[in-house]
Amino acid sequence: MAPRQGKVFKLAWPLKTIIQRSAFLALISLAIALLFLGKANIGVVEKMRTTATDFLAPILATISEPVDAFHKGVARVQKLTSLIEENERLREENARLLKWQAAGRTLEQENENFRQLLNALSDPLVLPITARVVGDSGGPFVRTLLLNAGRRDGVRVGQAVVAPLGLVGRIAEVGERSARVLLLTDLNSRIPVVMEKSRHKGILVGDNSSSPLLDFLPTNAKVAPGDRVVTSGDGGMLPAGRPIGFVSSVTERGIRVQAYADWTRLEYVSVLRYDLPGMSSPDMNPGDLGESRLDAK
Amino acid sequence: MSQTLAYQFNRLLRGSVPFAITVLLALMSVVPIGISGYAIVTPSFAAISVFYWSIHRPYLMGAPLCFVLGLLSDFLTGAPLGLSSFLYLLIHAIAVSQRRIFIGKAFVLTWFGYFLIAFIIAILSWIIACLYSLAILPLTPILVQYALSLLVFPLFAWGFGMLQNNLLRLT
Repeated sequence: MAPRQGKVFKLAWPLKTIIQRSAFLALISLAIALLFLGKANIGVVEKMRTTATDFLAPILATISEPVDAFHKGVARVQKLTSLIEENERLREENARLLKWQAAGRTLEQENENFRQLLNALSDPLVLPITARVVGDSGGPFVRTLLLNAGRRDGVRVGQAVVAPLGLVGRIAEVGERSARVLLLTDLNSRIPVVMEKSRHKGILVGDNSSSPLLDFLPTNAKVAPGDRVVTSGDGGMLPAGRPIGFVSSVTERGIRVQAYADWTRLEYVSVLRYDLPGMSSPDMNPGDLGESRLDAK
Repeated sequence: MSQTLAYQFNRLLRGSVPFAITVLLALMSVVPIGISGYAIVTPSFAAISVFYWSIHRPYLMGAPLCFVLGLLSDFLTGAPLGLSSFLYLLIHAIAVSQRRIFIGKAFVLTWFGYFLIAFIIAILSWIIACLYSLAILPLTPILVQYALSLLVFPLFAWGFGMLQNNLLRLT
């Protein structure tokens, strides 16, 4: 490995430098060419990415295992310190939620009855695919996650990704057994949303900041901080009515939305398999239950 | 004969340590840690490694390896493909051309060198990313990442130094 010092080497020194320099220049140009190819959205680049992530996802899954375990251990110790308060709080919450559950059941039944009376179409079936987060963006340029589920599990480009508290983003790239999620805070993220109360529709535009911008609302829409924002289901890829976040600030420069999702605790997420009969092609978003490897169980 | 073969193999293994360690660091930088906001400002461990080895063992961290490592980070992070390759190649080129300044001098000088080079790289990467996405990206996360990288640099340099003294003394 160390350059062998000798007469031949001394003679070949200029030649070696020239070769090294030109190799360096070639590699630099190759990197720039790759940037342009990627920008031009050439299929080859995406194919390369998905192949690479397919290969890397299992390795990352293995590496993140001990980190997860450590993290869980720390969380456990933290919980131990506030066990009694936590228990008290949960009891109260449970009592409150039981009331809500009763109310929810009545409303669900009532809704069902009305649907039948009106002969309204019910919402299509939504099937969650649970996937582990094996990688995060690890840098300032993109807001993405890497999942260890892919095409063979029924994941397709465009599907919604939700965490327990709310929407996280959408699937941007799919490999055979890995997928990349474009978080709703990413610069390239656009999600059709609706204000939960006023039913005004808009687009949630990510800009790499922690709170995305709510744009394209009708000019007469009244928005106040605290208003809930949910998915509108426009475009047919995302189920309607999924919670996203709340309006955090309304200024002249725009309306900012704070997502409900807890970005620090994304260990597992659900990819929503969702099919509007006759509207989405099965290739894009499979509604066929027999296809997925997960459904075989 | 078998002894020389074993020797060659040993040499090869030892020689691939800088590359292997950088691969590992690139993988580690995307593993979700669960600290709020950390994913965005994760220090670029791989860049530190490329810088260190380009100074101390340039023939074990050649330009093609830097290119491959850049591709790997871009695949892992989902950043525009080619961005990290370009940046790592630049770090490599600057480090190799200036290595005589750093070799055998106080560590603070290397740290200062990294302080300058990483700043150039941070600003350059921001400009490229802005051009790539045709938008003005927030600069703060990039500067925070730069500051964090700078902070962890001595730790990594110390670890690499240990490796270099113990494993790579002969290479």
